[in-house]
Amino acid sequence: MKRKWILFSTMMISMAFLSGCWSKKELSELALISAVGIDRDEDGNYMKAIQIINPGNVSSGLQGGGGGQAPGVTVITAEGKSIVDVHINASAEISRQLYHPHANLIVIGEDLAREQPLNTLLDSFDRNAEFRNTAQLVIAKKSPAADLIKVLSPVEKLPSEKIYKTLDVTEKMRGENITVSLQDFIKTSASPGIEPVLSSFTLEGDVKEGKKQENIQQSQPETIVKADGLAIFKEDKLVDFYSGNMARGVVWILDRVKQTDVLLDWKKNKDAITYSVIRQSTSVSADTSKDLPEITVNVKAEGMIRETEAPVKLDDPNVIHELEKTAEKEIKEQLERTVKQTQNKKTDIFGFGQTVYRKDADKWKKLRNNWNDDYFPNLKVKVNVDAFIRRTGLRTAPNLSEIKEKYE
Amino acid sequence: MEKARISAFQLFILIVLFELGSAMIVPLAIEAKQGAWLAILIGAAGGCGIFLIYYALFRYYPDESPVHFVRHIIGSVPGKIVAFLYILYFLYLSARVVRDFGEMLITIAYVETPLFVLNLLMVLLAVYTIRKGIEVLARTGELLFIVLAFLFLSAFLLIAAGGTLDYGNLKPVMGEGLAPIVKTAFTQTIYFPFGEIFAFMMIMPYVTDPKKVKRTGLLAITASGFVLASIMAANTGVLGVELVNRSLFPLLATIQSIELADFLERLDVYFMLAAIIGGFVKITLFLYVSVAAAADLFKVKKPSQLAYPLGVVVLLLSIMIAGSLPEHIQEGIKLVPLYLHLPFQVILPALVLLVAFVRHKGRGKEGEAK
Repeated sequence: MKRKWILFSTMMISMAFLSGCWSKKELSELALISAVGIDRDEDGNYMKAIQIINPGNVSSGLQGGGGGQAPGVTVITAEGKSIVDVHINASAEISRQLYHPHANLIVIGEDLAREQPLNTLLDSFDRNAEFRNTAQLVIAKKSPAADLIKVLSPVEKLPSEKIYKTLDVTEKMRGENITVSLQDFIKTSASPGIEPVLSSFTLEGDVKEGKKQENIQQSQPETIVKADGLAIFKEDKLVDFYSGNMARGVVWILDRVKQTDVLLDWKKNKDAITYSVIRQSTSVSADTSKDLPEITVNVKAEGMIRETEAPVKLDDPNVIHELEKTAEKEIKEQLERTVKQTQNKKTDIFGFGQTVYRKDADKWKKLRNNWNDDYFPNLKVKVNVDAFIRRTGLRTAPNLSEIKEKYE
Repeated sequence: MEKARISAFQLFILIVLFELGSAMIVPLAIEAKQGAWLAILIGAAGGCGIFLIYYALFRYYPDESPVHFVRHIIGSVPGKIVAFLYILYFLYLSARVVRDFGEMLITIAYVETPLFVLNLLMVLLAVYTIRKGIEVLARTGELLFIVLAFLFLSAFLLIAAGGTLDYGNLKPVMGEGLAPIVKTAFTQTIYFPFGEIFAFMMIMPYVTDPKKVKRTGLLAITASGFVLASIMAANTGVLGVELVNRSLFPLLATIQSIELADFLERLDVYFMLAAIIGGFVKITLFLYVSVAAAADLFKVKKPSQLAYPLGVVVLLLSIMIAGSLPEHIQEGIKLVPLYLHLPFQVILPALVLLVAFVRHKGRGKEGEAK
């Protein structure tokens, strides 16, 4: 019995020494990648900018001093013939082993995305078990991807985090961007009858200033990075950028709008009333009985009035009803414009083809070959909007002179 | 045969773990596209049919190992040859599963570790369990079953709550009609994983209450059919058919897609735990069956003595059967179901049953004549 216990405890103790020695990675030997940006130079080589976290400089500021003197990240760039080749070349510049699992952002330069099918760039990330397939994918509009991840940001210590969170917040508030992960993009571009979209970010100001720590040591940074609408793809290549209401139209039809504002005209006052959509649901259906399918987009929006610049009696249900009609008309027009213009671009980013495929697979077989070029642009698309105004905030009628006179 | 007893419930658990084993980690029945889950359910129904053949054989000789009764039915020498072929078949299947799991571990976690080392660890574990006997395996199974059930329930909850599931991805279910679904069911899912229940011919005589074997078996196949179908439906719903088709381990990608409340993410360990549990049971059972059958056939008194030598055979076989992972997988999809599973799971047992049926009928008549 005693021998058994000795044997048992020896085994238990030796377990502590035996585990985890094969290909171990110490934290102090790793360079944690937070973001990567991919571009191409004139010779056709890939250029990859790798944003690495400086652990010492991102530690919490509670202890005072220490962090904040130097940037939270370092960006190294390398060139190569393939994405993995670049990655291996980059090891010449950094004293630690590059470590992928913490990367949550991939930025692709506009030029590269226009020239080369995006999936060819993403293969190495998708194939690598170390890389997160939930990392966000964005396009750098009008600037190289490398610049976007070099710019230091106020509030957030990691620039990658700043882009990641900005995207998340603006998607919820404004509805002109959507978060698209690596996996979402690959999934959508492989699915029949739908083309992917990505959010785009632009650089405002000079990248040389943005790289410096001084950029964020002022109340208004010289250089900032901001979300700027959607990048539209066709057959895996970037074809156009949408911004403003066009971008929101796309997000809306994809049923990804969470909250947004719609400006309504009232009598002669243009954009006088701000209608805030608090929740909405959109469904797309297809009627496949005819030769060319007919698409119906049904939108149901619910919200409140948040601002008025025109005299409007908001305590009158009839006025509210009239405003609802105005909102319906406005949203309908915006969506129809988005659909029309996208049909001219000949790329089905709304997934109308997918709706047809899911409804009637036989029909889809006849249409799929030239869907984007021949059938999608000629689709009859009907938009139905149901808008509801539920409340108007703390006040009824606005404090405007015209109304006061009427009351008197 | 060793002197062991397992309960009907333990049999149920072993069958479920065994069926889920390697089937849950691969893109099962993806040739049927959105209808994969349907193909799996049809496969399970077919599996129930095959199981009834085995059960009929078992009913004729409820206390004897198949290695013995096959000699009663088709004669001593042919019976021995058939039993020997089956031992090779089970050794090969065991090696295939070892290879599957070794390759999986290398691909997703231990990139720099040699295949031999990973396979060695798994085979060692299987050999150790076999030396302890079927009762120990059955009790281990009970423990592991609880873990696996917890993993599945919470994973499904997380997937449903995480909002990554899009039911639209499952449409159209029969885009190409019913034909590809039925074809996939009959060329793949019936045999892998459901028909592999044939291995339980060696286990059934251990069950304390033989009357319950039929109900337990059918129930276990149906249950694992539903679990596998819902796994594939979840994979398709989260990833879409195209991505599932390109993935070696779609369940891993599905689990990785879970992002909940900013901290429930990268739940790869869920997948690893489930896969290792299933793999362990499947490898051990196949190896156990070959060891027990070999001991019966060659009249080795202590079956556990064969565990090490046959373990070495499985280990070496698992390295030798294919030069690369794609080769291994293609063999599994194209060659194994048609040239191994079909004859060994369906044709041979059906023939043996036919002979047994005719013999017993004849004997019955003789009895009446007297």
